[in-house]
Amino acid sequence: MSALALWSRRYGAMIRNAWLVDLQYRAAIVLWVLWGVTEPAIALGIWWSIAGDGAVGGYDRADFARYFFGVMLVNALTIAWDSWQLDRWIREGDLNYRLARPLHPVHEALADNLAYKARSAGTIIIVWLVAASVWPAVRLPLEPGRWALVALAVILAAAMRFFISFTTGLLAFWTTRATAIMELHAGVSMFLAGRVAPLALLPPAVATVAQVLWFPYMLAFPVDLLTGAAPTGAALMRGFAGQLIWLAIWITAYRLAWHRGLRRYGAVGG
Amino acid sequence: MKRLDVQALKRSVGVVAALVRLNVAEELQYRANFVASLLGTLFWIGTALLTLALFFRHTTRLGGWDFWEVVVLLGVFNALTGVIEAVLRPGIGQLASEVKSGALDLVLARPVDAQLLVSLRQLDLWRFTDVILGLALSAYALERLHRTPTILQVAAFLVALAAAVLVVYAIWVALMSLAFWFVSVENLSVLFDAVYEGARYPVTAYPGALRFVFVYLVPIAWTTTIPASALTGRIGPAIALGAAAVGATAFFLTRLLWRTALRRYTGASG
Repeated sequence: MSALALWSRRYGAMIRNAWLVDLQYRAAIVLWVLWGVTEPAIALGIWWSIAGDGAVGGYDRADFARYFFGVMLVNALTIAWDSWQLDRWIREGDLNYRLARPLHPVHEALADNLAYKARSAGTIIIVWLVAASVWPAVRLPLEPGRWALVALAVILAAAMRFFISFTTGLLAFWTTRATAIMELHAGVSMFLAGRVAPLALLPPAVATVAQVLWFPYMLAFPVDLLTGAAPTGAALMRGFAGQLIWLAIWITAYRLAWHRGLRRYGAVGG
Repeated sequence: MKRLDVQALKRSVGVVAALVRLNVAEELQYRANFVASLLGTLFWIGTALLTLALFFRHTTRLGGWDFWEVVVLLGVFNALTGVIEAVLRPGIGQLASEVKSGALDLVLARPVDAQLLVSLRQLDLWRFTDVILGLALSAYALERLHRTPTILQVAAFLVALAAAVLVVYAIWVALMSLAFWFVSVENLSVLFDAVYEGARYPVTAYPGALRFVFVYLVPIAWTTTIPASALTGRIGPAIALGAAAVGATAFFLTRLLWRTALRRYTGASG
């Protein structure tokens, strides 16, 4: 069997498994989607009333609506819960039998991610289509070229957030507060990743700091591409370059944490 | 008959008081949790203030409130969060999973009022620091507003705050009772977190539709906007009467709902 066929069979099985497990908790899925939607909805509500009939920093009401719908969708497509998962695996010893399998545990986590992202993003796309049918402000133009760029940016952002979350979860090898570190990261990303406001509305100094860190490339950059506050030319290249560089850095961090941590884990159990 | 009821109530209160004492003794062993909880709260207050500062970079009023008025409200929000995390989540928040597993049998078999026991049997003591920090934040914001509330305003605030606790409690009971009908939903508290986010800002800051929801459907306007308004004098002390009525109604409804829901409960073996 070719390597490609083997891997697609493995992933097919793991994704199907993740789906079937989750399908037992359908109501729970709806609740999680709702939870993901309220934060941008509340931010949109506030900016909506601040903007009034004018514009704030170049954003009018329709721009804000598009931006925060974009945040909902891109966030659903890129969010990763692996810190919490790994923290549990490591603390409760569920990692043990996963290590004994002939497949690296990172693949199970990736398959899980694909399964829940497809599900929640699917729900949000339906909500968006319904909203767009009655509310022209949130309609997006059909431009295949841009959509392809958006897809690429979303995949890179999702990969980066996966490795950030997975690596932070691995800190559970050393500390019992790995998930607290992830909460801190989430708090900072409220501002620097563009969750409470488009980056253009941050104080310029803060926005500059954000640009050299990984935060904008997790969310704000793909959202801006999607809504058509489109960076073009040099800014576009800079965006993708930032995504690639930070993805490489986080993959390196993940490899380091995995190998060091596993050695330590063995020492504890042995 | 009446006499017996009073005795039963006395016994219930006695049992719960003993449980609380036990709980306090247990929690006092984990003082590191106090530091962690304190740092978490300070970080949360920091991000909330920064978010607010970000909004106020682009406006001078939020729903007619100026910056420090909203900070008074944030303090109230934080105080209520303390009550939720210290009492409601560890207590009534566990109800859904107990209905599912049948562990509720153990509660119902005891000769004390089940609702009282479920609500108060477990406390996360350290989170009460959130109440103190929240009220301190409100006091500081009042100072910045150069407003010293009259005795009457403070009294109205305290009544409104007590009513707010009852409203929040009622929302939790209502949510958790859903588990009696839809047994498989375990993450019902997520729904609360999602909606309660909206209480961070004055209800007037939202567009009409959202405002309607927050005042009438999910009455979280009564949890933060009303107490904060009573304290800053935005609304006269007479609002205390309205708040008391809302709080009492909310509590009466939880009693009713609790009895109805229990009738549906068939136990672990049923």
